[in-house]
Amino acid sequence: MTTSDKDPIHIIIGNKIWGLFGSLKFTLFILFSLAVFSIIGTVIQQNQPPAFYTMEYGKWASLILRLGLEDMYHARWFSTLLVFLIVNIVVCTIDRFPPKWKSTFESKVDVDARFIKNLLNNHTIILNDEPALARERIMNVLRSKRYKIKEANNAGGMSIYAWKGMIGRFGSDVVHVSLLLILAGVIIGSIVGFKDFGAFYEGEVTTIPVSEFQFGIDSSWHGIPLPKIQRYRKASDIQLRLDKFWIDYYETGQTKQYNSILTVSDNGKEVIKGKQIWVNAPLHYKGLTFYQSSYGMAYDKVKQAEFVLKNSKSGKAIAPFFTADWNTPFDIPGTDYRIRIVGFVSDFAFDPATKTIFPKSAEHNNPAINVEIYKAGKLVSRPWLFYNYTDLFAAIPGSDYELVFQRYQGILYTGLSINKDPGTTVVWAGSVLMVVGFFMAFFIFHKKIWINVKRNGNETEVYVGGMINKNKFIFERELSEIAESIKSDISGGVRK
Amino acid sequence: MKVIMSLLFFDMAFWFYLATMILYIGYWIIKKEWLGQASTVLAIISTFAIFMMLIFRTKESGHAPFSNLYESMSFFVWIISIAYLVIEFRYKIKVVGAFVMSIAFIAMLATSMLPYRFQDIQPLNPALQSIWFELHVFSAFIGYAGFGLALGMAVMYLIKARFEESKTSHFLIDRLPPSAILDELSYKSVAWGFVFFTMGALILGAVWANKAWGTYWSWDPKETWSLITWFVYAAYLHARVTRGWRGKKAAYVAIFGFLSTVFLYWGVSFVLPGLHTYASQ
Ligand code: HEM
Repeated sequence: MTTSDKDPIHIIIGNKIWGLFGSLKFTLFILFSLAVFSIIGTVIQQNQPPAFYTMEYGKWASLILRLGLEDMYHARWFSTLLVFLIVNIVVCTIDRFPPKWKSTFESKVDVDARFIKNLLNNHTIILNDEPALARERIMNVLRSKRYKIKEANNAGGMSIYAWKGMIGRFGSDVVHVSLLLILAGVIIGSIVGFKDFGAFYEGEVTTIPVSEFQFGIDSSWHGIPLPKIQRYRKASDIQLRLDKFWIDYYETGQTKQYNSILTVSDNGKEVIKGKQIWVNAPLHYKGLTFYQSSYGMAYDKVKQAEFVLKNSKSGKAIAPFFTADWNTPFDIPGTDYRIRIVGFVSDFAFDPATKTIFPKSAEHNNPAINVEIYKAGKLVSRPWLFYNYTDLFAAIPGSDYELVFQRYQGILYTGLSINKDPGTTVVWAGSVLMVVGFFMAFFIFHKKIWINVKRNGNETEVYVGGMINKNKFIFERELSEIAESIKSDISGGVRK
Repeated sequence: MKVIMSLLFFDMAFWFYLATMILYIGYWIIKKEWLGQASTVLAIISTFAIFMMLIFRTKESGHAPFSNLYESMSFFVWIISIAYLVIEFRYKIKVVGAFVMSIAFIAMLATSMLPYRFQDIQPLNPALQSIWFELHVFSAFIGYAGFGLALGMAVMYLIKARFEESKTSHFLIDRLPPSAILDELSYKSVAWGFVFFTMGALILGAVWANKAWGTYWSWDPKETWSLITWFVYAAYLHARVTRGWRGKKAAYVAIFGFLSTVFLYWGVSFVLPGLHTYASQ
């Protein structure tokens, strides 16, 4: 689009912007910027709490946080560049596609010898045959090489236009459209999809929560109403039961595979029964996918624990060790004591403000168990016993006894990712289209050949010339071969 | 596990590649026909030796030979050798071999200097047991090889173009193919590389990640560096159709792209943490 001085200012500016977005230099700028921002995102650790950046980067931390470099790929910078890329592609296509379409399909058939001699690749052949015979021969050569052909008669003789691989010209457009499709898939996924994680215990049934969305209006930015997507979670009708979880090992002791057996019910009815999943083999149901993603030992529960009752003075055990099950009263043999395991934390921590005990992490760093001790049916104490510090709080009040927490058997849970992303299909469709576009763009070449046949005295002059959009050297060879076949067929022509 | 045969073939291939490189460079300098033929024969032998290494590796480990750096580097060398031989037969230019075989030998050298534990066979961890993983690496490495070739071509192009412009002559430079051919070969290498890299590193990688972790994209450093590399080569393709950028600037972009590829392949595994750290276990 061109601008003249007489145009009003908004037209001039409009054309300038259009020109910018239609330019390939701008594309290079966007691509390099995307690369640079992405690099920053791999150098600065992403999505850490603000304190982390203060510690790591000192006075730069505030700048990093202000520019959103701590969440690079969701920062304004990054999405702006992606939007620019999309606009760039759209504008470029609108600008360039129509002329390209025209020049691809509309090619001159009737050309003279001078036109051919001006082509980068051209050959001149002198034959002794009649033009009609020469034409026949040319046609055969071109047909055998699968060219499409048009002819025209002209004053001096005739012209032939032959072409193939026209579709290759549009490979880049297919690639560009596919890119838009992939980005559309990503956007659909970010609106409609969700990802969740859950820890599941053997035998337990869990109702799967899903995430829904709703369009709303957000006026928090300068009072301007902007569309907003609100998400909320709700329980679905789908329930999941973990039937079994186990780990396979290699002989060397390395982990071979994590496996879970799952049963899915929908509205109370079992729809998938005992399906085994493992890493790389998830379970699909109604757009939801369940992935084997991790495993671990429960941080708030044990299956059973082993204790010893000791005389605190002599240090001698009253009875051999005994094992109590979770939450099940157990009479210690040979005594009138009874215990019950009522709590467990894998990594003991105490919050003085609320006076509560909680697991600091899911790691089994400092396991502690909460037991109730009864004597003759009466609760005498309710201590937390420590696995790592066995003599801490071990004494039973009003007695010479102490209870030592010696060992425990944890409960394995399986960590499942639960995921729904309808955009994925669109992304795959775009990916396939992109590969198709690549093959069109890179491996199908648009070849054009013009041939002019002219009678000159008792000789026939044949001018052969061609053009290709890329892959020039291989085409040069092909054109020479064509010229050679035209010349060498049956009667001996002379090639100049 | 026993890894005798593959190590043996690797060591053989190492010396073959050294000899191949020397012969091609020799051919470039003294341009004797018999030396050129010997170079080609030795290149074929080297390619075969590294192929045998890969075959035995597969037999010994029971899985495709790209589960660690040692295996995947060997695979890279194999692919780049095949690609080079195809170019040599199609374009009949042997001088290029001096550059490409140098890249192949440097790759062999780097592989041989990897810590010993890489030479041992590692059983596949759960995430790697997938046909998508194998296709992913297979295709991505063809991409790397294409980019490696493009690097060689771009370097030659820059040297040759400089001499052509200043119309100066040097017997070594004169023996390089014309810059127009080097430019085209560089473009073709990037084109092949770009297709396989996109399919392998990005698309199949995403399919695999989606199977294994439930998301096709998670901005892990390796993924991000694939994308960075992809941006750079996309820029190369567009630089070639941009006035003022075709030629020299485009060649620099191709070199830049290969630096990114090397970082993607080695740097990320050793420097940045992420899902793909299997390579540095
Ligand atoms: C990451 C984004 C992009 C990718 C992956 C991409 C991909 C491609 C590919 C593969 C080609 C074919 C190259 C060749 O045949 O050598 C191409 C050509 C082209 N692209 Fe892009 N492109 C992107 C962005 C853009 C943008 C933003 C523009 C807007 C200016 C653009 C304009 C063009 C043009 C004008 C051509 C040459 C057209 C032709 O020869 O048919 N591309 N692109």
